[in-house]
Amino acid sequence: MISQNALHHAEKCRFCWMCRHLCPVQHQTGREVNTPRAKGLLLSMANKGTQPFDKDMAQAMYECLLCDACTNDCATGYQPPLFIREARTEAVVNELAPEAVMKLIDNALETGNIYGVEKPSYGQDGTDVLVYIGEVAAIQVPQMAKNLLAVLKKAGVSAKVLANEPASGVMLGDLMGYTEEVRQQAKACADAINAAGLPVVVLDSYDAEIMKQKYPEWGCEIKTDVTTATAYVAKLIASGKLEAKAGTGVQGACHDDDRLARTFHEFAPIRAMAKAAGYEVGEMFSREKLAKSCGTAVAYGYMPALVEKIAASRWEDLKRSGCAAMLTASPQAYLCLSLCVPEGKALVDLYAALV
Amino acid sequence: MNNILVCVKAVPATTSVQVDGQYRLKREGASLQWNIADESALEAALSLKDKDGTVTVVTMGPPKLEAPLQDLLARGCDRVVLITDRLMAGADTRATAGALRAAAKRLGPADLILCGRRAIDGETGQVPGELASALGIPCVSNVEKLEWEKDRLLLHRRLETGVEVLSARGPLVVSVCEYAYSLRLPGILSMRRARGKTVERYSAADLGLTAEQCGLKGSLTKVTAMESKFPGLRNGPKETDPAKGIQALRAMLREVQP
Repeated sequence: MISQNALHHAEKCRFCWMCRHLCPVQHQTGREVNTPRAKGLLLSMANKGTQPFDKDMAQAMYECLLCDACTNDCATGYQPPLFIREARTEAVVNELAPEAVMKLIDNALETGNIYGVEKPSYGQDGTDVLVYIGEVAAIQVPQMAKNLLAVLKKAGVSAKVLANEPASGVMLGDLMGYTEEVRQQAKACADAINAAGLPVVVLDSYDAEIMKQKYPEWGCEIKTDVTTATAYVAKLIASGKLEAKAGTGVQGACHDDDRLARTFHEFAPIRAMAKAAGYEVGEMFSREKLAKSCGTAVAYGYMPALVEKIAASRWEDLKRSGCAAMLTASPQAYLCLSLCVPEGKALVDLYAALV
Repeated sequence: MNNILVCVKAVPATTSVQVDGQYRLKREGASLQWNIADESALEAALSLKDKDGTVTVVTMGPPKLEAPLQDLLARGCDRVVLITDRLMAGADTRATAGALRAAAKRLGPADLILCGRRAIDGETGQVPGELASALGIPCVSNVEKLEWEKDRLLLHRRLETGVEVLSARGPLVVSVCEYAYSLRLPGILSMRRARGKTVERYSAADLGLTAEQCGLKGSLTKVTAMESKFPGLRNGPKETDPAKGIQALRAMLREVQP
């Protein structure tokens, strides 16, 4: 059942087609059904009973990164991810979601992560901040998690990591919309973080977004400050606790990840990190609020080939910028970009560069 | 088994409040949302139901509330009832309580009736007490926590001076504070269960109510005038000096202080 609010967002399009020009999925597939607007039309037709909400429609709803580029440029101010998320809920309720998606959902419900494996523990005691690693970094990009902890240690920050870090709910929320199951994950996560009683530094901006935006709405607010790891490390650099390194002579462009760019409007910290790591900072054409997504971990979980194409397209942006290195501090971006690093170009984990 | 009845009200979203020529809220064109205190009461009921019981929701309003009521089924409610009839339009708290009483009687005995303590549109807070009076059962107001203690309910009442804890046995009406509980989201399993359920609709006739007992005719009160306490607020002078702005704001707040 799609809410009236979601239908309102789906049906009020002015047909300006700006979203068509921005959607990273549609860029790769070239299919009209992959535009955010087409998804809105499909949902509207399903609501009016002129088109069944079937497996094909469900599939279309999953061919989206929820990157919010369409929202950012919507002339009418509507939010396609809002109705796409609800359409995903509808697909799961009616058992129409793609099998690969259902497998990830089952994993997330059974094990707390979409990979269905035991999450490695980075548990350590500390007194200054609590670092929330997140499942993507913990399982898929462990080196970045270790590098962040090493950067904090270098700056003299005593960091705690929960031994059994609960899922934030963000992955499940992307897979099946915001349902009570997601809220229960969020609640357990907030309870564990609140029990620690320390300010939270969140490595994955996707986790930071759900914590800062949805937890208060769901009655499970984190009672201490929640900061993205990039913003926190940039402050350490600005305060002199983390010393800048000598220049590398390499020009790198920062990849603004979807959440940092469009939820937090956070562009300066990652560039400050890049400069402190000794890089000459260049820019790609699609940057900051207009940043093009390079894929997400959850989408990679159910449509890996398409995500690899999307990541390759981001590398094309880098080539056009003339920079030699793609700089990122996002575990999800690192995971996707690492799928297809072009010859002669480098993918740089900025935490590693700062250690 | 505990049968819980929850009375909820759809109120205009705070961004779309309009009144008609007779100072009645215009609900037809407005974007509606569940009253925040009623959501709190609903979650209190669902939390009690998590241990045992059933939750039935009743509301009074236009037919377009069917979809939001269906959503409440997906959040775990067992039964949802919409009282909808043109005769009910313009009901004051007394006529509303009369309709809810009739619905409660028709739905069968409830061990507990929960309401929000007040609605954000009317702000009267009278319906819970009037409903209890109409049903001849006790009412406990301003409750922020409910929990079972064996076969009795422990009710934590928010007072100006602290919190009072009462022990009570049903049937009774309890009015719940806004923000005391956060309403859960629809869950996948409950959404699947809700697919086969429908919203039950009652008219005035179904409830055995005559035209004289409903809506404006059945109301004891009538709004005769309405005025803004912030005349010209949006068109007032703009102050760019922060110190002068603070002084102006203080003066304005003193003016509207009751």
